[in-house]
Amino acid sequence: MIRLIAKKDFLLNLLSVRFIIGFVLCLVIIPFTVTVSVDDYLARVRIYEIEQKKADDGMKKARVWSAVRPVIVTRPEPLSIFSAGITNNAGNSVKIAFDACPLFPSGHISTRDNPLLNAFFSIDFSKVIAILISLIALVFAYDSITREREDGTMKLSLTGQVSRISFLSGKLAGLLLTLLPILLFCYLLACLIIVVNPGIALSAADWGGIALLFFSSAIYMLVFILLGMFISGIVKSSSSSIIVSLLCWIWFLFLTPNISTYLSQSIVKTPLYDNVQSVMHDYDKAFEEDYFAVWRRIRNEMGIKNLNFYNNRDGEDGLREITGGTRTAPLFLLRLYPEIIPLTLSNADKKWALQRNYLGELEKQQRLQQRIALLSPSELFRQITEAICSTGAGNFLKYMEQIRYYREGVIRYFTDNKLFASSLYFTPQPLEEYPAEEEIASLANEEERQARIAKNSWMYPCLDTSNVPVYRQQQPFSLPGALDGAFTRLAALFGLVVLLLAAMIASFMKYDVR
Amino acid sequence: MLQTIELTKRYEDGLLALDALSLEIRPGEIFFLLGANGAGKTTTINLLLNFIEPTSGKALINGIDVMEQPLETKKHVAFVSENVMLYGNFTARQNLDFFARLGGKTHLAKSDYYNVMRRVGLQEEAFERKLKTFSKGMRQKVGLAIAIIKDASNIVMDEPTTGLDPKSAAELMQILLRLRDAGKAILMCTHDLFRAKTVADRVGIMKEGRLVMLRTREEFLQDDLERIYLNYMQEAVL
Ligand SMILES: Nc1ncnc2c1ncn2[C@@H]1O[C@H](COP(=O)(O)OP(=O)(O)OP(=O)(O)O)[C@@H](O)[C@H]1O
Ligand SMILES: [Mg+2]
Repeated sequence: MIRLIAKKDFLLNLLSVRFIIGFVLCLVIIPFTVTVSVDDYLARVRIYEIEQKKADDGMKKARVWSAVRPVIVTRPEPLSIFSAGITNNAGNSVKIAFDACPLFPSGHISTRDNPLLNAFFSIDFSKVIAILISLIALVFAYDSITREREDGTMKLSLTGQVSRISFLSGKLAGLLLTLLPILLFCYLLACLIIVVNPGIALSAADWGGIALLFFSSAIYMLVFILLGMFISGIVKSSSSSIIVSLLCWIWFLFLTPNISTYLSQSIVKTPLYDNVQSVMHDYDKAFEEDYFAVWRRIRNEMGIKNLNFYNNRDGEDGLREITGGTRTAPLFLLRLYPEIIPLTLSNADKKWALQRNYLGELEKQQRLQQRIALLSPSELFRQITEAICSTGAGNFLKYMEQIRYYREGVIRYFTDNKLFASSLYFTPQPLEEYPAEEEIASLANEEERQARIAKNSWMYPCLDTSNVPVYRQQQPFSLPGALDGAFTRLAALFGLVVLLLAAMIASFMKYDVR
Repeated sequence: MLQTIELTKRYEDGLLALDALSLEIRPGEIFFLLGANGAGKTTTINLLLNFIEPTSGKALINGIDVMEQPLETKKHVAFVSENVMLYGNFTARQNLDFFARLGGKTHLAKSDYYNVMRRVGLQEEAFERKLKTFSKGMRQKVGLAIAIIKDASNIVMDEPTTGLDPKSAAELMQILLRLRDAGKAILMCTHDLFRAKTVADRVGIMKEGRLVMLRTREEFLQDDLERIYLNYMQEAVL
């Protein structure tokens, strides 16, 4: 009997106008959004490749260790096509330096070149699914019970060999039978667009992720089907049911996300980053004073009157590359850096302590927002898709954590190999090649003197940086990892299904069929 | 056989819609239940079909309590409601097919459906037409066909003649007589005194949830049914 009712509802749904409208809506919107997302992804991959090449070149071209700055370029995940998450809120590259810990990536924020264009770039597949599928589910489910009552078919059906519970199960099965194909169709369409695109290669794990996404979407859809049926079972007429359903829809999809953001921002106040920066600036000032104090002390101890760098390249982040001139300068720097580097590192740590506090506040705010947003199944769904596609805030924070850990590794590599104490830290020119002051003074011929001191970087080979630790993402995308991140939320969504199912059955058992 | 024993229904708002009604409709009998609007006729049917729960008393179909074994009792009863819309996007035959299967009749052929529809007087061209294009009376005929095709031993009808043209109504009465002769117990709630006079085997008159009069065919033929009815109604005014 359940099969019979399910089949009947399936046929009736197929024949209804809303089915055609829903289908056409998917047919138009899904290809459009996926195409936009795919373009966006391909553009990000292109930028990634360019930046990665730049980063590699930078490492290969370094002639002194102080110029070695590993740059980590974030490789875009193919799954971000499905759920962009916050990938477009942050940059894509992190430079590892000794004078600061990386807080957020810098570099390309998004692929939008024209800031004057305000299109819905942030709409991605999962958001469209969240909006479209919930709406379609409600539009199909809102009158599933009221309509049967209004048309008198419920009474007639219940005079047949069917109990209330199987009547309800049949209706639910009929709705699933109608809507699951629509959902599947959306996914197939999206996958088709991705597969025919030669620029995108999906791994087996990615396919697993997509399957998981589909599974979550199906549960999400079930939530809204049950919600619609539940509403249909507690109100008397279809017209009030559609109103209540749409109000719920608006509440869940548009109000809760905004309310949760607003509430979290007003409950947890984060300090302005400008304030953090100004304190950091003070630290840098103090560091500079210490730096010059050391500088002067060593100069005095060495009895250097005139400190001249023949060729000098320096940067704010601690870069120094000298060549040529006499031996005084390298000898001075050879004493300076082992003393300065610990200061630099501890200054970076001090600044990081400030930033970490700040980050902690941001995290607190973000966690609160996520928690408040759990009031809405669509927010829950969004968090699940972000966890599956590893594009959410949690993944991002973990990623930055790994990068900071990697920075420690780089520092360890430098200390272990005594690179800070080596002349190669600041000059590619071998120390023996530098002439002593007296030697230069003894040379009468200006030409000869020039030949001894005029040296240039390009005359020396680049460093072999192949042994510098390379950043490896500790957890590349994997299905168990994604499942792990999404599990509790998926379980919560499932719990909601059970709850709604129970509520729906309970209310329908008492439903007045007249 | 349809039976109510001291059947009482008090609605949540306190209204006593049915007050200890005891009735028995035997196989091969057409029972007309008459009564003013709000007398409790539909309530009786709703209780017989287990759509609502009685406050006290029992309703039995073929001797089985409808509360205890609802599915079992529904095998033995067919129902025609007063204004059924059915599934507008299905054709008459599809509607018939669905409800026949729901009633447990799974092995019917197309010709069976056509025969029943012919029997209730639905025009041939409408058999495969979508129900949303039907007139009220045509829908009513499909509703009748649904009840007939179930071939249950009891038939409960709530004002089935509303919307039927005189010819169809007369045909319905012929069908009822034939069903009765086939041994079915038929409960018919109606305001139609004229039909009651022509086909009823017994007539009951309800007032404010109580059965105030019960006559067999011989009894009410001797007297004028209309006069009896009005007499009982007038007592309320007095
Ligand atoms: N759901 C309900 N809640 C409260 N009272 C109700 C409900 N349904 C019916 N009633 C009341 O019960 C009484 C009997 O109603 P019922 O529908 O059985 O009358 P009826 O004899 O079928 O009338 P009609 O000839 O108009 O169809 C009426 O007074 C009605 O107001
Ligand atoms: Mg009535």
